[in-house]
Amino acid sequence: MSESTTTTRSEDATAVDDSTGTEFVFVGGKGGVGKTTVSSAYALECVEAGLETLIVSTDPAHSTADVFEQTFDDDPQPVEGYDGLSAMEIDPDQEVQEHLTDLKRQLNDQLSAGMVNEVDAQLEMAHQTPGAYEAALFDRFIEVMRNADPYDRVVFDTSPTGATLRLLALPDLLQGWIDRLMDKREHSIDLYEKAAIGNQAPRRVMDGDPILARLQARKERFEFAGEVLREQSSFYLVLNPDELSIRETQRSLAQLHDADLPVEGLVVNRLTPEPESHEEGRGATYLRQRVETERDRLERIDREFDVPVVATIETRVEEVRGSLLEEVAAELNVSVN
Amino acid sequence: MELADRIATFRATLEEWLHGLYHGMIAHPATEKIEQEAEDLEDAFMLACFPDAFGIPSPVSYYTAELLPYLGEEYAAWERRMWDRQSLIERKGHQYHF
Repeated sequence: MSESTTTTRSEDATAVDDSTGTEFVFVGGKGGVGKTTVSSAYALECVEAGLETLIVSTDPAHSTADVFEQTFDDDPQPVEGYDGLSAMEIDPDQEVQEHLTDLKRQLNDQLSAGMVNEVDAQLEMAHQTPGAYEAALFDRFIEVMRNADPYDRVVFDTSPTGATLRLLALPDLLQGWIDRLMDKREHSIDLYEKAAIGNQAPRRVMDGDPILARLQARKERFEFAGEVLREQSSFYLVLNPDELSIRETQRSLAQLHDADLPVEGLVVNRLTPEPESHEEGRGATYLRQRVETERDRLERIDREFDVPVVATIETRVEEVRGSLLEEVAAELNVSVN
Repeated sequence: MELADRIATFRATLEEWLHGLYHGMIAHPATEKIEQEAEDLEDAFMLACFPDAFGIPSPVSYYTAELLPYLGEEYAAWERRMWDRQSLIERKGHQYHF
């Protein structure tokens, strides 16, 4: 990221700030509960309501490609067969690699060969810390938010890890951190300036300090992200009617609540279909019992969570794709406005 | 006239000496102290930026890595200082000229 791209990025930010039209929807939940199905169906609903929609997948397994039977990359691409729907897939691993390569190039431009070796190890290490993946993903989220102008609605199909949700709580944390860093840096530069007596040049000067400029740029990006998340975003959690899924949802709800990002609604996916009343036999008995337990759990969800269940979706025999997706979309009565 | 000249020379010499004394005893050590303080602050800044260099995982090192191209020389010097530093007293101690 060179100085010039930093400025164009901040220009983008003001452009988005002016048009507050775009709404962001985050769909989260435990792995395998059907987030992709729900977010795709929701995106279809939005398209039917006449909204220009973009669906962003962050799941490394990328099942959006399967749902729409089309391959996507990390640039928005129109989805065939659906007017007004685009999709993109983000690969955090690739983002981390690109970030690393970019920094290495800058390192070679700025420093002597000997120095590059000294710093290189640190650079590699920073890109292998557990947080790197999340940081890259978060960066990409911000990029998408900044370039969301052409869309009325952006649906994020988040990856199953709890980390993605925790990620959304990051802007405040990171902003605080960057603030403290800037503070330290300013203080030390100030002291250097004071220490320079007579006509000695101070060791560092405040004006045009590249470090401060960089931190400032970062800070602005986090501020932007925080603002978008608080003011232009809504969150939905998908869960299945089973114990694990319910507990995981409880945790996610608490996390998002702590981050001041309240969840709008829950979508219960994979409900067992009830057999016809005249049906007998093992299959029917099994289904009836399952429906019974699931009804109990649904009641529990209603009772224990202070977030409304906005939709329930019955399980399908086949993978949800094509026309089946439209059926699911019809079952999903989340208001799109 | 001669006496006045001699007094003027004496005063100039005295002034130079006093200035030298002031610089050597007050101004210079103070500058050094301020500079050392700035260095210490910078060390703290570096530690906050790159705690993983010392095995402390940090959620921000991915972002602060962006500063490395500009911090290259400071970084190398800092790492050496941190590994070499025996104790806080040793560092603080050598600021005083006895």
